[in-house]
Amino acid sequence: MLVLVLGDLHIPHRCSTLPAKFKKLLLPGRIQHILCTGNLCTKESYDYLKTLASDVHVVRGDFDDNLNYPEQKVVTVGQFRIGLLHGHQVVPWGDPESLALIQRQLDVDILISGHTHKFEAYEHENKFYINPGSATGAYNALDITVTPSFVLMDIQNTTVVTYVYQLVGDDVKVERIEFKKN
Amino acid sequence: MPTTPPQISPVEDQEKYLQDALGVVKAQAFHMKRALDKNKLMDALKNASAMLAELRTSLLSPKSYYELYMAITDELRHLELYLLDEFQKGRKVTDLYELVQYAGNIVPRLYLLITVGLVYIKTNYALRRDLLKDLVEMCRGVQHPLRGLFLRNYLLQCTRNVLPDAADTDVDTPEGTVKDSVDFVLMNFAEMNKLWVRMQHQGHSRERQHREREREELKILVGTNLVRLSQLESVTLEKYQKLVLPGILEQVVSCRDAIAQEYLMECIIQVFPDEFHIKTLNPFLKSCAELEAGVNVKNIVISLMERLASFSQRADTQGGEGATILQQVQLFEVFSDQVASIITTRQYLPPEDMIALQVALVNLALKCYPDRIDYIDKVMLTSVEVFQRLGLEHLESSSLVSKELQKLLKIPLDNYNNLLIILKLKHYAGLMQHLDYTGRKLLSIYILNNALDNETVIPTQEETEQALNLLSPLVNDKEEQPLGEVDLEELAEEQCLLARFIHQLRSNVADDQYLILTAARKILGGGGPQRMKYTLPPLLFQAYLLAYKYKELKDEKWEKKCQKIFQFCHSTITALVKAELAELPLRLFLQGALAIDQIGFENHETVAYEFMSQAFSLYEDEISDSKAQLAAITLIVGTLEQISCFSEENSDPLRTQCALAASKLLKKPDQCRGVATCSHLFWSGKSLASNREETHDGKRVVECLKKGLRIAKQCMDVSVQVQLFVELLNHYIYFFEKGNDQVSVQILNQVIGKIKEELPNLENSDETEQITKHFNNTLEHLRSRLETPDADGVSYEGLEV
Amino acid sequence: MSFFGFGQSAEIEIYLDGQESRKTAEVKTEDGKKERLLLYYDGETVSGKVNISLKKPGSKLEHQGIKIEFIGQIEMFYDRGNHHEFISLVKELARPGDMIAHTSYPFEFSCVEKPFEVYTGANVRLRYYLKVTIIRRLADIVKELDIAVHTLSSYPEMNNSIKMEVGIEDCLHIEFEYNKSKYHLKDVIVGKIYFLLVRIKIKHMEIAIIKKETTGTGPNTFTENETIAKYEIMDGAPVRGESIPIRVFLAGYELTPTMRDINKKFSVRYFLNLVLMDTEDRRYFKQQEITLWRKGDKVRKPNLQSPAILAGTQTLENTAPQEDDQEKTEPAQKEDFLRAPNSQSNDKLNASDPFDQRISSPTESPPESQIQNMTREAGDGQNDPENTE
Repeated sequence: MLVLVLGDLHIPHRCSTLPAKFKKLLLPGRIQHILCTGNLCTKESYDYLKTLASDVHVVRGDFDDNLNYPEQKVVTVGQFRIGLLHGHQVVPWGDPESLALIQRQLDVDILISGHTHKFEAYEHENKFYINPGSATGAYNALDITVTPSFVLMDIQNTTVVTYVYQLVGDDVKVERIEFKKN
Repeated sequence: MPTTPPQISPVEDQEKYLQDALGVVKAQAFHMKRALDKNKLMDALKNASAMLAELRTSLLSPKSYYELYMAITDELRHLELYLLDEFQKGRKVTDLYELVQYAGNIVPRLYLLITVGLVYIKTNYALRRDLLKDLVEMCRGVQHPLRGLFLRNYLLQCTRNVLPDAADTDVDTPEGTVKDSVDFVLMNFAEMNKLWVRMQHQGHSRERQHREREREELKILVGTNLVRLSQLESVTLEKYQKLVLPGILEQVVSCRDAIAQEYLMECIIQVFPDEFHIKTLNPFLKSCAELEAGVNVKNIVISLMERLASFSQRADTQGGEGATILQQVQLFEVFSDQVASIITTRQYLPPEDMIALQVALVNLALKCYPDRIDYIDKVMLTSVEVFQRLGLEHLESSSLVSKELQKLLKIPLDNYNNLLIILKLKHYAGLMQHLDYTGRKLLSIYILNNALDNETVIPTQEETEQALNLLSPLVNDKEEQPLGEVDLEELAEEQCLLARFIHQLRSNVADDQYLILTAARKILGGGGPQRMKYTLPPLLFQAYLLAYKYKELKDEKWEKKCQKIFQFCHSTITALVKAELAELPLRLFLQGALAIDQIGFENHETVAYEFMSQAFSLYEDEISDSKAQLAAITLIVGTLEQISCFSEENSDPLRTQCALAASKLLKKPDQCRGVATCSHLFWSGKSLASNREETHDGKRVVECLKKGLRIAKQCMDVSVQVQLFVELLNHYIYFFEKGNDQVSVQILNQVIGKIKEELPNLENSDETEQITKHFNNTLEHLRSRLETPDADGVSYEGLEV
Repeated sequence: MSFFGFGQSAEIEIYLDGQESRKTAEVKTEDGKKERLLLYYDGETVSGKVNISLKKPGSKLEHQGIKIEFIGQIEMFYDRGNHHEFISLVKELARPGDMIAHTSYPFEFSCVEKPFEVYTGANVRLRYYLKVTIIRRLADIVKELDIAVHTLSSYPEMNNSIKMEVGIEDCLHIEFEYNKSKYHLKDVIVGKIYFLLVRIKIKHMEIAIIKKETTGTGPNTFTENETIAKYEIMDGAPVRGESIPIRVFLAGYELTPTMRDINKKFSVRYFLNLVLMDTEDRRYFKQQEITLWRKGDKVRKPNLQSPAILAGTQTLENTAPQEDDQEKTEPAQKEDFLRAPNSQSNDKLNASDPFDQRISSPTESPPESQIQNMTREAGDGQNDPENTE
């Protein structure tokens, strides 16, 4: 089961488009679910995701005007409960302990958040945390050297294998991180 | 009683007439072959003549006549082969050429004459030249279009392998030279064409369509002549120029028949080599201008241009002779001049065709002279002049001419995929003005998409201005814009494109980038509130980025420049405020504040404070929706938590203001969560007072959380109350683990106790289950900490789980 | 032959000198059959032997004399009793006496004048024969032998082409040209027709060779027209400016030299009749007399090497006026076309086409009740230019 995790596109506010190399990787029909951490900003970006997979979950980012997007969301994929939120509501931004609060509240195996535009994937108290970064490498005031990235999760039974795609220079680099549920 | 002339009979009769005729042919052919077997030539000729007499019919449609013709000429081959054989055996068949001419009817006579003539030629080349002349001349006797066309086709087919193809010499050569072949075919061609054209004028005018269909079926017969000419190897370029082409063109022009002219011109283009066309452009195109009104000259010229353009491309890749020719002939100039003259001489040419010709010219220029942008510009200018002359403005976007014009304008874009080159075209924008509003808008979108797809970077202020002016239908309102409600969704889509494009207004030189941004700001500011909300944010983020760049460059005046940038940002965001937007400018102010804090130029604290306070006033004055308020204050708190540049006198009021605002939220749960969030400002928040380290003001933290508890208790809904307690418990744990000594195990026990007390009273519901899970997860966390305390972490001793 | 079956009888045989090698010519007999006769020319000596053989050897034949005559005569078929001998030469072969055995008598008519050519027509016949008569008291024994005579002519000094513009006002203007006015019998007529104005729907055009035989004089003149050949030279309707080639080989047809007022008894003249047929089967024609003459036979070279077979398509100059604005250059009309009724009732179609004669002849269609020589103005309106559009 392939789950695409991405967010913070910030098109058109901060970026003109997804990197072409990412667009080439993201082919319709291969991905089952999309979890988006928000800041799609426009309907076009949402429509684009819809072309990749029919099951698209989006939470509201700080630059999303669409009030229909929820602040947070829980999605179950296979045996995993996955929590999804943008992360600007969690103060301090990107703080693992603060995120752990949300994990406990949502009672999820995996918590996905964005906002920092910095890819992260780590285990904390037996839970898995993912930040896919910004798929467009959008501007971030706190750290302007942003590497465009997104995450693909392959969920099989109690295992999730996470692939992170990062655009370094002109090359797409892929890393693999495995997480097993107890 | 005069009998009505035999007319082509209805379809149902056709089959019968054809079968009757084929029956006769079969019988006569049988007897002919038997006679040949017995060496009775005279009898065989009689049979052949009887067979051929079937071709005298007027009853058959061209299609059926063709079938009959094929059947008969097939049989005639037997006669030809027999005669050839006899001649080669040396048997003299005296006066055969004369003999067959006694046939009383002209149609069978001429078929026989051609058959015998061919045998004579094959057995004696010395007769060739004269015989060819004689045959083609004698065929004049058949003036009936259908019969004449087929007769001459037979002549052409029979002679295809015996046409002299030797270069001209000064000595008299009875076997003939290529010139004789050219004369022969040209004459046959002219006669066939006349017959073909004549078909148009036969019969009643209401059958015109029918006739034209029949003519269509027969055109290949006429065209075969040109094919034959093209197959003559000794037709050199010189011969083609002096003899062949003028001969053809003279006939084509003088026949004054639109169908023939269109077909034959196309034929010329297709059958002769490109090398010839290139050297004969002028006469060919001149003739185009002289064609009948009904002729689609456009198609002819375009067809030629396309052929030569691909030839040029082939020549470019292969080099060699083709390339040399292209250097000699100014392909573009010639076409350009001739197209101009066609447009002026053919007044009735519809404007869309005039523009279609320009389209072809541009295509030609692009394919043959990709570097000559001036050619493209010349076409644009010519097109402008055409419109001016015709007085055409605001072409309705669904009209044909508008579609052609849009095509014309798109081609350079599609080809170069570079907006910068389009901007170099002086007459592009002017030409675009001839489209109506819708047309211009559509084209603007096309241009934008092209620039986006190709990631075309616009590197100067001047080009930025040009580009945005070119895209003006998207950039601002137009007087001629259709009245009525604006389709907001459509507008959003368009403006989104424009907004994306702004990221491509980009210079590597920081000062230039500043000029670009201010120039763009000036133009985009005219777009009105609906557009600005899309187009200004990208400018702001680009401006923030630019400030970072100055910080990195650290040139002499970098701090002043940064200040200027943030002034620019301030006024830009204010423009959005004036456009009655609230949340967006609020976020942008916050983003500005973050950037200012990071860049830390001279006087940055004041500027940052200004940005924060602007955000606050927006929050207070403009945001009324409770949900939006919570979202906004959360964002303000989150942002403030990150900013470290404020001194005591600025940071304190801001933090207090946040806590105050949080506690003033409409709904109790919102208040509770708001103040809980604010607590972080006093812990991890930084300021100059704390030397940009975390503040760690445990007391204020606990005050916030206590306030949260108080508010939670005020909630009427017990389940909400318990939920808030669990959340607050987590905050307490958070700070306890962070080492806030104001948070004691005792407090934790109190909160836990309170929750444990209330929890069982809750009704069974999904919510209750969620709360229970949350609480259990919290306890689980605490238990694990109890079991494996961090070495240097705080001690949970005394905790009652 | 003896009427009584007794008495002596004799058979006469006329042997002509060199008859084994002498050329012959086909001559039509009165009943339409053809026979081959020895051929003589004007001024040639006719000589030979008369062999008389007795049927009953041993018994004598009594006679009043034996003579041989050379006779050229014209016979009118409607006046059987009256033969007009224009030549009559007699040679006495034997004085009256008795003949006991086969006897041979040489004879010679030296350098005999033979001014006319043999001819067998519809109403008249011109023949030459030798007649041997054994004069007897009761019944003469007679033997006749016909010979053929051809009159040879040398090339005519004057032989202009025939060139003419004809037409029907506002309907049809053509110009035609035949390369000569005098053709020998193996000649080729080469010509061209230019269409200067065409407002009728022409279906086809043909050339007919018509023989006109005139006999008698004054009120007793008989004229017989015979169509020797019909030759289609154009199929379909041309438009203004077209030119159509004409080429007719004469050798294949039964023609005689033109004979003018032969011995004041008869004439045989030839005409080329150019006939246009419109889609309503109306005919328009123009006749032009040509003179036919006999050329001394020469051995014709085999055609294979000879461009003569092409007979002149290249030699006839383009004589049509430039296809300019027709109003301006419209030539003065010189003669009117004749419009014929649908049938030429006194035509006898002579099928001399070596192939099947398949011309769809208008003679098969019912004759229109129209008078001859009608011009368009008197027409039935069906040919009005408007209708031809």
